[in-house]
Amino acid sequence: MLKNISNNISNESIPYLFLLPCLLILGSLLSVPLYKVFEYSLYDNVIVQKDPTFVGLQNYQEILGDIAFWKATLNTIIFTVGSVIGHLIIGTGLALLVNTDINPKARTVFRSLLILPWILTAVVVAVNWQLLLNPFGIINYGLDKLGLINEPLDWLGDPSLAMWSLLLISTWRGYPFIMVSFLSGLQSVPKELYEAAELDGAGFFGKFWHVTIPQLKPVIYGVALLDLIWTFQLFPLVWLTTGGGPGRETEVLSTMTFRYAFVNFEFSKASTVAVSILIISAAFTIFYLRNEKNRI
Amino acid sequence: MIFKKIITIFALSFVLIGNANAKTEIEWLQWFAAENNRDFYEGLVAEFEAANPDISVKLVTQPFGKVRESIVTDYAVGVGSDVLGLNMPWTSGFLKSDILEPLDSYLSKESNSFKTEKLVQAPIGKINGKSWMVPLNAFPFVMHVNMDLVKKAGFSEPPSSWSELKEQAVAISNLGDGISGIGMPLSSQPPSNGPILTFLPLLYSNGGRIMDGTSPNFDNAKVVETLTFINDLQKSGAMAPGYGSRTGGVDLEEFIAGRSGFLISPGVHASAVATRNPDLNYDLVRVPTNGVNAYRVHGWELGIASSSKHKEEAWKFIDFLLSKDVNARVAKASRALPGNLESIDLVSAEATPVMKTQMNILSGDEPVEELRQAPSAVPSWSIMTEEMQSMLRGDQSPNEAASKVQSRWLDLIS
Repeated sequence: MLKNISNNISNESIPYLFLLPCLLILGSLLSVPLYKVFEYSLYDNVIVQKDPTFVGLQNYQEILGDIAFWKATLNTIIFTVGSVIGHLIIGTGLALLVNTDINPKARTVFRSLLILPWILTAVVVAVNWQLLLNPFGIINYGLDKLGLINEPLDWLGDPSLAMWSLLLISTWRGYPFIMVSFLSGLQSVPKELYEAAELDGAGFFGKFWHVTIPQLKPVIYGVALLDLIWTFQLFPLVWLTTGGGPGRETEVLSTMTFRYAFVNFEFSKASTVAVSILIISAAFTIFYLRNEKNRI
Repeated sequence: MIFKKIITIFALSFVLIGNANAKTEIEWLQWFAAENNRDFYEGLVAEFEAANPDISVKLVTQPFGKVRESIVTDYAVGVGSDVLGLNMPWTSGFLKSDILEPLDSYLSKESNSFKTEKLVQAPIGKINGKSWMVPLNAFPFVMHVNMDLVKKAGFSEPPSSWSELKEQAVAISNLGDGISGIGMPLSSQPPSNGPILTFLPLLYSNGGRIMDGTSPNFDNAKVVETLTFINDLQKSGAMAPGYGSRTGGVDLEEFIAGRSGFLISPGVHASAVATRNPDLNYDLVRVPTNGVNAYRVHGWELGIASSSKHKEEAWKFIDFLLSKDVNARVAKASRALPGNLESIDLVSAEATPVMKTQMNILSGDEPVEELRQAPSAVPSWSIMTEEMQSMLRGDQSPNEAASKVQSRWLDLIS
């Protein structure tokens, strides 16, 4: 009897033993830093202060009462939603284009070229776009030659243009992920459905609306949520392109965190903003996981 | 017999390993080799190691914008470098965190290769009753001039006063074809230090200051007057378009490429201009004045981390860098003035006209350094940048910009 119980326990514990390395890695690489960030947010300041004082939720009160935090939150929402919409529109359009029946070699070349923005690092993207959008850059030159502007525009330094410019750069950088995901989705749509739609007299838009979109719906939902999570936390592209400026016109929560930490050396406030990003990102992640569960 | 041999080999190995372990390694974190000649600094390290076989030096080079951040994070996790490349405006922030080791006891050593009173004095001035850094080199903020553009615009000499600066900058901008009189690097991008590169040198040449001792004093008449002058440069078309996205780096590049008439920046940039565009018809003058011959003094400083376990060795290396001959070579390599003024003869013997101008400015004009004691100096640059951007856009007057910087700076340190 005892032997049976012992065998059962050891049999049941084997899967947990296999999980142990993963749990240990997650525990040390994820849980500890998360806990530390939350703990830091409860002190007056840490890292640069030898004897920090526990202040409870005071940092949260201060951050929530700071208009700059709400401005950064609004900017984050505009940047995230705008970027994801841009990625979806451009990514879907290009996925449809590179899915058409053309010369296979040409199709491979187009697919390879169109995926390039995804391969480039944020630094390269930022520097390239800074050169393109410079008052003496090629974009202003082109607009001037077309007679569309009288004087060069400061795309990244003018408050009325900076966020739009950032959205353009973010869209360019992020569309390949959507394009690749939708392309694989498009290739799994049965051709019979398009044939049936054609027989019913559907044109290009009819087929797109009534066949492609419904078939891609699960992919669109999952990919858009994933993109939303990633873009919400995006830091390097914004910091390297505008630094959150001009003024604080393009300041997002991630750049605000960095500014508190490494410009002002206010690491507790940086942790407080980081926790707010974590809470919002976690909400998106739960939505995503639920969606994935429903799909399964 | 064989056994004896094995024992001997083991014994020798232990002795050798023991000796290898006895060698102390110190780490030198700096940005100098990134801006200068890396081989030159590696050569210096090798020279020091040859003279001090018991010490090895690890040269850690990072871009300027990254060093301040690295010093803080390294200190926090306890892996900091021993010898630190420093910038005077970082001082008050680092002192708050006890990152720096006081250098008074080291400076008073009789064995030092230099005399403390012969060092450039601004960096070693006491804060909280102690000295925290020593100068490796020094240079004034100056105005770099593209003489071809000055002549093309109809002038024979570079400007020496504010009114001449405005007149010539407007005339150069009017040449068209993407040419501008002067740039104003007011990008929010890190380190967002445009105001201290351009505004402060103009303010000092106007006899103004932004500090009252250790307290911010930004909303004063001289500051407003200087902001008004900068605003006039913008309104009159003297300024390059795109000040809101122009970084200090871009400002320098535009000048090197021959697209700006004037560049107000550290004299050490003469090195970049000379090496990257040797064909540029280039001159260097004092920042045009509005009645006062004063300059913002700057330099590359050295300090010791309070967390260093090898402070004596670290000082030995600093002492080597400040010795007359070595310091002269450092100055020549960086086209700056030596931190040890006893080296100045060695430098001036081979000085170019551009270097001689810098020496004249350093010896004849009034040096000003306010940021070493300024509280939250680095975050205050961002505030100045943002308010100056707003002023140049026409959203506020110079008076309002000065008041806002003052109140935001006080909020920051309260």
